[in-house]
Amino acid sequence: MNKKDFMNKLSAYLGGIPGEDRQDVISDFEEHFKEGLAEGRTEEEIAGSLGDPKSLANQFKASILVSEAEKTTSAVNIIRAVFATLGLGFLNLVFILGPFIAIVAVLVSLFASAIAIIAAGITVFFASIFGPLIPQYFAVLINPAVAIFGSIGVTCFGILFFVGCIYLSKILYRLFVRYIKFNLRIISGKE
Amino acid sequence: MNIQFKKGVLELCALALLAKKNRYGYELVNEISKNISISEGTIYPLLRRLKNDGYVTTYLEESKEGAPRKYYQLTEAGKKVGKELKEEWLTFVKKVNSFLKGGVKDE
Repeated sequence: MNKKDFMNKLSAYLGGIPGEDRQDVISDFEEHFKEGLAEGRTEEEIAGSLGDPKSLANQFKASILVSEAEKTTSAVNIIRAVFATLGLGFLNLVFILGPFIAIVAVLVSLFASAIAIIAAGITVFFASIFGPLIPQYFAVLINPAVAIFGSIGVTCFGILFFVGCIYLSKILYRLFVRYIKFNLRIISGKE
Repeated sequence: MNIQFKKGVLELCALALLAKKNRYGYELVNEISKNISISEGTIYPLLRRLKNDGYVTTYLEESKEGAPRKYYQLTEAGKKVGKELKEEWLTFVKKVNSFLKGGVKDE
């Protein structure tokens, strides 16, 4: 493989990362080739000792996308970061994708519970106010005052629970990014 | 040598080399690959990660040969982490060595 082949492959596999970062990586390797050639090595020797461009591109991609996810908290960023680490080898399927799916599943179920509690509170609230007007549809069997205040209480609890879920997501997000970074230091590249 | 060994110490080596003086990419790669056989390209993603984490900064400097070189310089945070990693490594190696020599008393 000569320099051109190496660079073409590297650049092709770097798709999906911001143009500026990509240019940065490319120019690092341009410089490396230049220095090597100045030492009298051939393009083939240099490319050979650099290693597989696909594996290198995957390593760059993972660290760039993980640091993007660290800088800007967003669902898209974390998903991209998780998928970038999968390119680094089979182990990440177990160590990163597995825990990621578990965390997302727990968060989704917590949010769903919060929404269900809020919905239940609101339903009982309106049912206990308007129920007596249409007795053929609703029969509130408990004291209306208890039903009204109880439902307000339940709704408030649901909202607090929901806010708690948001905080929990943020904390888990940060922890998970740190966990990925820790993994990158240990299992970077499949070689 | 076992690849997991190498990966783990690569960061330590790079930080140690940079603690002595600022170096450019090719120079770092050469210094490391002289002693540890590893795909040379692997150093670059590592340097990138060190930069993202704020452990190194980079600057361009003209070389005698003409082409500008990208130099890597440790930040204060980088120096601190480098020192910590070095301490950890030395203690670790000391313990492992004492196992290998069979000189552990409390077992």
